[in-house]
Amino acid sequence: MRNPSALAKEFRKYGKAASCPIIDMHGHFGPYQGIYFPADTAEAMMRIMDRAGVRMIVCSSHTALVDTRRGNPEMAEVVAKYPDRFRAYWALNPNYPDRMKEEIEAYPEQKGFVGFKFLSDYHKVAITDDRYGPALEFAQEHRMMILMHTWGNSPYDGPALIEEVAKRYPEVTILMGHSGYGEWDRAIGVARDYPKVYLELTAAYHANGVIEEMVQGAGSHKMLFGTDMPWFTPHYGIGCVLCAAITDEDRHNILHRNAETLLRLRGVNLEEDDG
Amino acid sequence: MEMFDCNVCLGLPYAPSVPPDAYIEKAEDLLDRMAFCGINQALVRHIAMEEESPVVGNQLLIREIASFDRLEPSWAILPPQTGELGTPDELVARMKTDGVRALWAFPSKHHYLLTGTTFGGLFEIMIQRRIPLFVSAKERSNGIEGFAMIEALLRDFPKLVLVATDHGCWGEDRLFRPLIERYEHFYIDTSRYELAGGIRDFCDRYGPHRMLFGTGFPEIPMGGAFLTLLHAEISDQAKAAVFGGNLQRLLREVRL
Ligand SMILES: [Zn+2]
Repeated sequence: MRNPSALAKEFRKYGKAASCPIIDMHGHFGPYQGIYFPADTAEAMMRIMDRAGVRMIVCSSHTALVDTRRGNPEMAEVVAKYPDRFRAYWALNPNYPDRMKEEIEAYPEQKGFVGFKFLSDYHKVAITDDRYGPALEFAQEHRMMILMHTWGNSPYDGPALIEEVAKRYPEVTILMGHSGYGEWDRAIGVARDYPKVYLELTAAYHANGVIEEMVQGAGSHKMLFGTDMPWFTPHYGIGCVLCAAITDEDRHNILHRNAETLLRLRGVNLEEDDG
Repeated sequence: MEMFDCNVCLGLPYAPSVPPDAYIEKAEDLLDRMAFCGINQALVRHIAMEEESPVVGNQLLIREIASFDRLEPSWAILPPQTGELGTPDELVARMKTDGVRALWAFPSKHHYLLTGTTFGGLFEIMIQRRIPLFVSAKERSNGIEGFAMIEALLRDFPKLVLVATDHGCWGEDRLFRPLIERYEHFYIDTSRYELAGGIRDFCDRYGPHRMLFGTGFPEIPMGGAFLTLLHAEISDQAKAAVFGGNLQRLLREVRL
């Protein structure tokens, strides 16, 4: 029995597929505390993206997770330099409400950003906490996209809390980063029940059988590919998607089509580039 | 190119950590899955070796894979002092009969100290006969875990061929690279080496001979580690070594 997928054959032979220009919806940038990165510059990341046929990556810089004032402008510079390859999330830290308020107000002026990034588990503030209110209200008003770090059973950003937020802010497009890692059924249920909630696959792809459950439970139109790059190489996640028992149509949805739709809605021009 | 997976487990666990359908019970189904992903050969263990007992699981594995020469068996060890697997010499004699050339240690579930006091006699024989010991970097023994446990073992037995599998994906190079530099018979598998640019960076620094292709199936899908290595930015020769050459050499050097 050989994998009958045309995409799998093409990726196996060339490392990429012309018909499948991947969009990575969950990236970072620069060094971070607990890990050695061989490839954390924009240039090194693009080299790896090129080898795997990744057309574009949407990132929040690690610096911005620690210090938004230094980190968000750093990401803006990367997007300005490589607008065909990078977009960014505007990171917010609810532990500093005054600063967060200023940064929300400054957001409309920014170029190259397609939404907010929340990292509740790291900032130790529950996504349902009042301190997130101003950001969520702003996002609701402007129908924004937010990439939220989500983790199974987390008191800060577990799938149950994401559901509360989705209920309260139905106009916000919520990408559940890591798909509520480990609490798969609950995360799949939230993505199934709320039209603007998506499962983002970073690291989740390495749990065998979970991609299949997501496709069955929420549908491949509610799934997005991501890698945490420079953490993980795109080939690892792509390989997991290719060997899952799903169709090539599902794979196209997951690896680029859904992301294309979300990014086009936010003014990203994906027309002329053939990937 | 021979794609020889060093980290595959057969059988159904009593408490699955991924959807139950992901597990495979029968050798022929495992071979099918491997063919689906493009993997030719595997060093296999049976879940019963860990979850039930090596006394049962070691033999169960042999029965299950006996007629499939693309599946290479490996066995689990227990402290010789309780005699459950016989003396070290008896264990090695049985390995010879059943064609087993690699051993695993599961100190967490099997409740023993993975130390010289417990295993000195067996490890001296394994060193003489160049039998590799596989141990997951998630294991724990003697109050220490992961690479701390592995380093303690290597400090006492620097000539033991030791393969650490399943190091986490969240950044463990700072933990295992010092051991690679210090201990020449120490290897890691690629099952969780998801690091962007990691395989290239590792091979540039240490050459391709200290890393073994492994997938971590069934908890992990085979396709991830496979595609990552297939398109790693290293030479074809280096790729062939990691994909299968290194493991084939280790097994060839075993003298039973
Ligand atoms: Zn992330």
